[in-house]
Amino acid sequence: MTTLQAASAKSLGSLEVGSIGQTVGQSTVPDPVFSCQDVNVRYGSKHALRNVTLDVGRRQVLAMIGPSGCGKSTFLRCLNRMNDTIAGAAVTGRILLDGQDIHGPGQDVVRLRARVGMVFQKPNPFPKSIYDNVAYGPRLHGLTRSRSDLDELVCTSLQRAGLWNEVKDRLKHAGTGLSGGQQQRLCIARTIAVQPEVILMDEPCSALDPVATARIEDLIDELKELYAIVIVTHSMHQAARVSQRTAYFHLGALVEVGETDRIFTNPRHRLTEAYITGRFG
Amino acid sequence: MSRALIRRLTNQLALTLSAGATLVGLLFLGWILWTLLANGVAGLSVHLFTQSTPPPGADGGLLNAIFGSAAMTLIGIAVGAPVGILAGTWLAEYGRETRLATLIRFVNDVLLSAPSIIVGLFIYQVVVVPMKHFSGLAGCLALAVIAIPVTVRTTEDMLSLVPQGMKDASLALGAYPWRTITGVIYPAARSGMVTGLLLAIARVSGETAPLLFTALNNQFWSRDLNAPIANLPVVIYQFAQSPYKEWQQLAWSGALLITLTILALSIIARVVVSALMPGRRQ
Repeated sequence: MTTLQAASAKSLGSLEVGSIGQTVGQSTVPDPVFSCQDVNVRYGSKHALRNVTLDVGRRQVLAMIGPSGCGKSTFLRCLNRMNDTIAGAAVTGRILLDGQDIHGPGQDVVRLRARVGMVFQKPNPFPKSIYDNVAYGPRLHGLTRSRSDLDELVCTSLQRAGLWNEVKDRLKHAGTGLSGGQQQRLCIARTIAVQPEVILMDEPCSALDPVATARIEDLIDELKELYAIVIVTHSMHQAARVSQRTAYFHLGALVEVGETDRIFTNPRHRLTEAYITGRFG
Repeated sequence: MSRALIRRLTNQLALTLSAGATLVGLLFLGWILWTLLANGVAGLSVHLFTQSTPPPGADGGLLNAIFGSAAMTLIGIAVGAPVGILAGTWLAEYGRETRLATLIRFVNDVLLSAPSIIVGLFIYQVVVVPMKHFSGLAGCLALAVIAIPVTVRTTEDMLSLVPQGMKDASLALGAYPWRTITGVIYPAARSGMVTGLLLAIARVSGETAPLLFTALNNQFWSRDLNAPIANLPVVIYQFAQSPYKEWQQLAWSGALLITLTILALSIIARVVVSALMPGRRQ
């Protein structure tokens, strides 16, 4: 925490900070794709996420905002069990995907990750051709029967990611040779190609310039017609532009959640108000 | 003196010293190459590649030694490199910072810096003594033992350079670790791994001490790996000490040959790196 953050946290009074725990707002939605109850994450002795109860709705964008280290990325990584790859990470609580506990016996993490795709902060295409980048997931899960099926899936995935027109003549070229914004759309195409139900995005625009960011935001708007999207962002403007629901995290707790319009016009918790008015974070 | 002047002088001094040190290093390298060229070129002829080592006082070549060296190096690498690559992969992707991995890494470093004569003595004790004779096979094994720690090290280093984000992306698409390794990490680290392999070949092909106790030498043409076999390093070692002019000339030519081969391998390694570097292919 910077001194500025510490100072503003202090000015809010220790009572409010101490009173985090009861989430303000509607944390459940009808017919959720993800339903999370009392999720806690510990990295060794660090308690990174505290009693988070939160639903993710279908065909809408849920934005997660909050100061650095507030647990929003940690929560995101619970949803596709990427925390499993970190030594010493322990996740407790129930996370239901379409009513099924993703930590339940017989649940295959590979199947889970096929249903829950992820786009990372830094564009991370594989050192392969554009075609092979997109075909990687379908090949992994044996999604197509023939070469022409695969060609078609690669094509539609690139179209949905809004990259097809720029790369259709050079599918055999290296994915790493694209610009940053194109690489991120390639990563989105790669995620879509596995035909997931949910797409998790961990600050997908923080390494991109404003023009590339605008393209990705437009894309997110289109993609929500087909997928549930959970996006972590440091930009409140971005959260306001792309999401229908917004969740505000602070010190590992879910402080407030609700309709995006409501959160940004009429926040109920003082910490939420302080954050979105730029008093800290 | 002003501070700016002192800083400028310090800078000049440091530059001069480091440039001088570089020159000293280069001087010796150039000197070695020049000596080899001056003495070795005279013996370079077709005979070198078509005839076997001669008896004293006669003309001959190094064919048997070249063949023996090439065969033992290739087999040694073929045995040692897969072990080294798999072990390096385990250290980088599975073992990581666990206590066992740290221990293995330490032992590997010890093996890496162990004098090669000890490897020769070890193979002599466990292979040559029970078999009751020197053999090319024992030489291959000694070279393999030397190649293993080198490839373990380079493989682990190269795999560790692959960005974590790339590994995460593959895992997040639902790939098992092994699929991530073969499908993403190996291709990303390809140039580094090829370089490591070439450098291991270069390292192994110049080893003399381990072969003295294992493959020994053979005056004649032989392809039998179950018997002593000629090889460049030991031929150079023995011929250089002999009183015969022809043998001494062959030793110089052999030394030049090994040096040129290693030089070529190093250059190829560099070319491969720049050609295979991900992102360079457009």
